[in-house]
Amino acid sequence: MSHKIGLACIIDDDNMYVNLVKKIIEAKNLCQNLMVFKNGKDALNYFEAILSNLDKKSIPEIIFLDLNMPVMDGWEFLDNFTKIKNKLGKTITLYIVSSSINPTDIKRARKINSVKDYLIKPVTIEDLESIFMDHTI
Amino acid sequence: MLQNELFNNVIQDLNTGYWELHDNPKRERWSDKFYENLEYAKEELKADLDYFLGQMIHKEDIEVFRDNFLNYRRNNVNFKQHIKILTKTGNYKLFRCATNDELPVNIKSEDKYIFFFEIKLEPDQDISKDNFYYKETAQMTATGSWYVDFQKRKSYWDFETRRILEYPDDYVPSLKDSANYYAEDSQQQAADLFFNCAMAGTPFNTEIKMVTANNRVFWVRAIGKPVYNESKEIIGIRGVFQDIDDIKRKELRLQKSIDIIASQNSRLFNFAHIVSHNLRSHTSNLSLLVQLIEDIDDPKEKMALIQQIKEISSSLNITIEHLNEIVTIHTNRHQERKLIKFQDALKLVTNGISQMIALSNAKINVDFSELAEINYIPAYLESILLNLITNAIKYKHQDRDPIIDIKTYVEGNKRGLKITDNGRGIDMKLFKDKIFGMYKTFHYNEDAVGIGLFLTKNQVESLDGSITIESEVDKGTTFIIEF
Repeated sequence: MSHKIGLACIIDDDNMYVNLVKKIIEAKNLCQNLMVFKNGKDALNYFEAILSNLDKKSIPEIIFLDLNMPVMDGWEFLDNFTKIKNKLGKTITLYIVSSSINPTDIKRARKINSVKDYLIKPVTIEDLESIFMDHTI
Repeated sequence: MLQNELFNNVIQDLNTGYWELHDNPKRERWSDKFYENLEYAKEELKADLDYFLGQMIHKEDIEVFRDNFLNYRRNNVNFKQHIKILTKTGNYKLFRCATNDELPVNIKSEDKYIFFFEIKLEPDQDISKDNFYYKETAQMTATGSWYVDFQKRKSYWDFETRRILEYPDDYVPSLKDSANYYAEDSQQQAADLFFNCAMAGTPFNTEIKMVTANNRVFWVRAIGKPVYNESKEIIGIRGVFQDIDDIKRKELRLQKSIDIIASQNSRLFNFAHIVSHNLRSHTSNLSLLVQLIEDIDDPKEKMALIQQIKEISSSLNITIEHLNEIVTIHTNRHQERKLIKFQDALKLVTNGISQMIALSNAKINVDFSELAEINYIPAYLESILLNLITNAIKYKHQDRDPIIDIKTYVEGNKRGLKITDNGRGIDMKLFKDKIFGMYKTFHYNEDAVGIGLFLTKNQVESLDGSITIESEVDKGTTFIIEF
């Protein structure tokens, strides 16, 4: 019995990219719902709010996190997110999706346990499909 | 007898003059060759020490020779010494004196001898020539020697030390005021060097700034080492000063250009990074879009997606314009600077944004009394003022009208501009490292682009200035520009 991902989350300030990924997800019917945050701070606020009412349905199963963002960048979000993620009571798989090809960024990301993988933009439709498939059991 | 024969043969082979010493000075004898070397006939000289010391030997050599001679005669202490002896024709000849221990090992002599080996100098290698070479070397390398005598509490300088320090030939250096021969910021260093050398015997070899009699500061290489007496106590310091001002100044200039190149290089590297990152985000969107267009079959949807290419193309253009602005800053840095009055530049800026100022009810207080004008690229000064003033208005505090204080200042040799607002401020703990970065925004304004402060910093730095920020949330922000 296959189970489709219910909720995915994108944290990225690039509207164009977010819209395109949205379109792909819709066209390929990859998940039921998608939530979008424009920067790390907005996303962190959301997760901190969830801690108080722990509605598991509003916790995404998968997060795509950009690194270069205004207000709060991806690294700072990761620092804070790592502290609270165990309290959320649900496995969340996190991917970094960045246009940075800087080796120090990639190395740094690989050292963080809560990061499943580092994807370099542009992502392909196939990438997205296979990621969502992996999580569909 | 055999020994005597042997000895005579040796002496003949040596072809050298000698003295034969006796306990009874009356019986002392000078060899024929000795007279011959000095061009005298036997009867012309009195063969005794007093006559020799008084009439024949160069006065510089008297004392040492007397000591050596008496020690040898009384105590059998062999010696070697160079001495100059006056010839009949009135010239000094240089001799190497040696005693019995110079004799070949198989010859033992009952008597004591002093041999005088004549040292034949090349025509252009006599003492005065040596002195000439020493002076030439000193002058051509601008190296003066000096000696500090702790016992007599005096210092001595040679002619070249006086010359490079621009003192007259008869100047007597002062030990008491010796710190004044060094530049103010080098006096401690000099004191340490001399103290360590005098107390611990540490020699030194260093570069230091000195001051000439005419108050000109210049670089010298100072080399010094301790001088010991027989009981191994330090009784002075001997050394040289070499004028290395030209070389040192070239070195400093070189170091400065290296610093400039390093900072330009790091800015270029940073720029390359920015270019790559900013362009990549558009190209990766483009690539994703193309994939989507290919993947979708519905012609209507396809058309809608193609429309989006326009959007990407226009953001790409904006990015490239931003990058262009940065490049222009660095190619413009050699643009002509002009003397600009701050008041004029500000007027130009405020006229351009008069509507924005009026709408926001902003008040601008100005104090250019300390520094009224500056030699700067006019466009940059205007752009800096424009950026900081519009920022202050854009990020004003929600509870109050913006007040902007603009003030120029002079502190020592630093000249600067301070722009203070009463806006919402920036959380320095969170954003300290990012404030002047490209595409960094700290507020939730939709129209925040994150290019202004990046450009301002680049403009200031391209003209070798610096910009810093002090800010507190809810209180306001101060930008300090040092020109």
